[in-house]
Amino acid sequence: MNRQKPGIADAFILLKHKIINWAVILGMVFRRGVYYMLLDLKRYPWMMDLLKVNRLLNKFAAGRTGNYRKAVSLVVTQVTKDMVELLEGIFHHRDRLVIHEDMVPPEILRAMGLKPWMPEILGILLPMMDPSVMEKYIDAAENEGIPPDLCSLPKATMGLAVKGYIPVGQAIVTSNLPCDGGMNSYALIEKKLKLPTFRLDIPYNFYNDEAEVYFAGELRRMISWLEKHTLGKMDWNLLREICIERNRMAEIELELWDMIRQKPAPVSAEAVYISHLWGFNVFPGYKSSTELFRKIASLAKGNLDKGIAAVQDEKYRALLWNPPTMHFIDLFAWAEQAYGVSLIMDSMSYNRLPFIDTENEETMLRGLGRNIMQGPMARHTRGPMENFFDDMFHIVKAFDIDMIFLAGHIGCKNTQALNGILREKARELGLPVLIIDYDLSDTRIVPRTGIMAQVDHFMENVMNTKKRI
Amino acid sequence: MRVLLKMNNLQEYLAGLLDDPCNEVVEQAVAYGMIPLGYTCSLIPEPVLSAGRLFPLRLRAPGVSGTETADIYLSSVICSYTRSLLELALDSKYDFLKGWVFAASCDHLRRLYDNLGYLNKPEFSFILDVPHKNNEAAMEWLELELEKLRTALSSHFNIDMSDEVISTSIKENNIMLAELRSIGDMRKEAMPLFTGTEFHRLMMALQAAPRKLLSDIPGRFRDAALKRGGAGKFRARFMIVGGELDDPAYTGVIESMGGRVVADRYCTGSFPGLEPISESGKPLAAIALYILEKNRCPRMMEEFDRRADYIINIAREYSADGIIIQTIKFCDTWGVESSLLVAALRDAGIPVLRLEREYRTGGEGQLRTRVQAFIESMKK
Repeated sequence: MNRQKPGIADAFILLKHKIINWAVILGMVFRRGVYYMLLDLKRYPWMMDLLKVNRLLNKFAAGRTGNYRKAVSLVVTQVTKDMVELLEGIFHHRDRLVIHEDMVPPEILRAMGLKPWMPEILGILLPMMDPSVMEKYIDAAENEGIPPDLCSLPKATMGLAVKGYIPVGQAIVTSNLPCDGGMNSYALIEKKLKLPTFRLDIPYNFYNDEAEVYFAGELRRMISWLEKHTLGKMDWNLLREICIERNRMAEIELELWDMIRQKPAPVSAEAVYISHLWGFNVFPGYKSSTELFRKIASLAKGNLDKGIAAVQDEKYRALLWNPPTMHFIDLFAWAEQAYGVSLIMDSMSYNRLPFIDTENEETMLRGLGRNIMQGPMARHTRGPMENFFDDMFHIVKAFDIDMIFLAGHIGCKNTQALNGILREKARELGLPVLIIDYDLSDTRIVPRTGIMAQVDHFMENVMNTKKRI
Repeated sequence: MRVLLKMNNLQEYLAGLLDDPCNEVVEQAVAYGMIPLGYTCSLIPEPVLSAGRLFPLRLRAPGVSGTETADIYLSSVICSYTRSLLELALDSKYDFLKGWVFAASCDHLRRLYDNLGYLNKPEFSFILDVPHKNNEAAMEWLELELEKLRTALSSHFNIDMSDEVISTSIKENNIMLAELRSIGDMRKEAMPLFTGTEFHRLMMALQAAPRKLLSDIPGRFRDAALKRGGAGKFRARFMIVGGELDDPAYTGVIESMGGRVVADRYCTGSFPGLEPISESGKPLAAIALYILEKNRCPRMMEEFDRRADYIINIAREYSADGIIIQTIKFCDTWGVESSLLVAALRDAGIPVLRLEREYRTGGEGQLRTRVQAFIESMKK
């Protein structure tokens, strides 16, 4: 088999981004001052773990060449720059800092002149860099009496709260998404942080006009509440700008998706899904996020024009369902090499939402509300099972998918309870499905090698394919 | 019914009603042309399901011995109440039901609704969306949802579900609740005339059969308790707190170790389940208000302190020496809630025992040991 081998130019891409990442971090230290930085490191020990960002770069770059390597490296560098901005919000704008749950997007907070901090971001990002790093926080939550069977992401976030490592801002905004565990975790976080808390309530059936009106009302109530409890003041013009920028990013993403529909795909995996995860959930409406998508789309186009595949000898096109395997984030970098599996699309990225109508306050709130209610994961864990399966099988068709990797996070009871139906429906369609048994943030449940063994077993026995490496 | 004058006989009769979802009273009601509807959560308004010929049955899974088939679909990490219901549904034990009414109360019950619809679709099935907050907008939302439920029931079963009919149903329901409440209040006495197990059985039987056909039972229970004159000695008074607990045998094990359960804040218990619905104004608005104001479920997002205070106040009112929090394994809402509750109750100076259990009462030896140790730790 003729596999791509990274060359000198590829090594240079990696080196360049490592240097940029360090320069970004050192810039932050310089602006903060060494003394205060050391105090911050003592106050928030997880900041030390964030310094391992170049490990993430190594993982994403492994085996990737050319434009594909450039694209995944750009994603990591963007994450580094944006994390620094978030941290500087903690350092310099504590009077405007608002804690927001991961399913409450930050557009409105930013339009109010507030600085958002998403506590779950650490449980998402840190295991990608250092797989076992959240386990001490998981243990801290369990020692507080939180049941071990609860999803490890809210559990780790609660552990951070128990240890006093969540920055104390002025207020908390959270919601009933994405699951009961996540929703209830904020009862504990609220107690520990002793902050006024607003909770958004997303209806069960949200694909209707009544739900949109109700939820736009929820967002209005949140804005009024924030104006009362924080220094934030709603700037509707700024919100319009943010929504317009978000729409631009979404437009480019659609172009990117059109390109990855081609066989073989010109870019795939993290270039497509981490960019979405970050750009749409953590930094929506930023010019830098739009620019990231523009660059990735341009790299994809470059590959497409030259007939270069992201994964040489792309053999299988995969759909990843559920959040990615955080502590084995290079699963697909490995699967590309081992089996020629190209990750085309994932449930966290894909949506069929219209752009946000920026005509007036109400249309923006309804658009943002729709994005929250009907956004990835939110719509799969709320509402009837049709929300889950219709989307899944639509993606399979739209992106010419050969197989589904379902990241069967043991703590996600909501989706575990649909696995039986999934097996039967997939069997009817002749669609191979691998349900990976593992825990999102805890390597002690199933380690990296355990996940690899499950993939090996599936590829060899179900797909009847030999391992390339 | 003369045999029911004695508490033992009455209890035997009530226990018989709990042996099978389709018990003799349900059969009798169906023979009369009444329509049984199953429901799975306290957020479902019984008066709506009691209108006209309808009658509600709180779904339980008596006699379930394993959940092997249900586990294939729901997985083994879902609460065993949900799995047990699906198991019995797949075993055709609920085929006598003419419909199921769910609330979108928790992830587990929502997925039961999905799986049931896929595997054994009921003739009628409805899921009520209850907001997680209590404010004016939530109230309006819930009222609309109740309106949808009313329309669905009315058109499917071709019955009159007008405001007048539902108002009558509320009134009848309130009469029964008032009677049960007055019986429950008797547990405030220093030496209650009946055990917690007996009261639990009464409560469950009235949720497992049409109340209209059992309207004399609370009176008989009171008479039998007064006639007996006492329920024996005990070492400590307990309040039980938690989610679904529909097996009086569990209460029985606790009481067998010298406990006396005097207050019950769980899904099928008397707190807050026996509070009346307002009889003034529009009935669906009154029901919406009742659901959002009176429920004390941890799936409601903003009310932890209110819930904790409610429990503390009841414990004091009923002179409970300690509180036993029991939760079904894998229940996320009660899982987080109970860890916070333990701290809140201890802060209030109330001894607490936290127990995790499966839906089906089992592990009695362990339970006895834990309760015994708890009583001893209170120096009772």
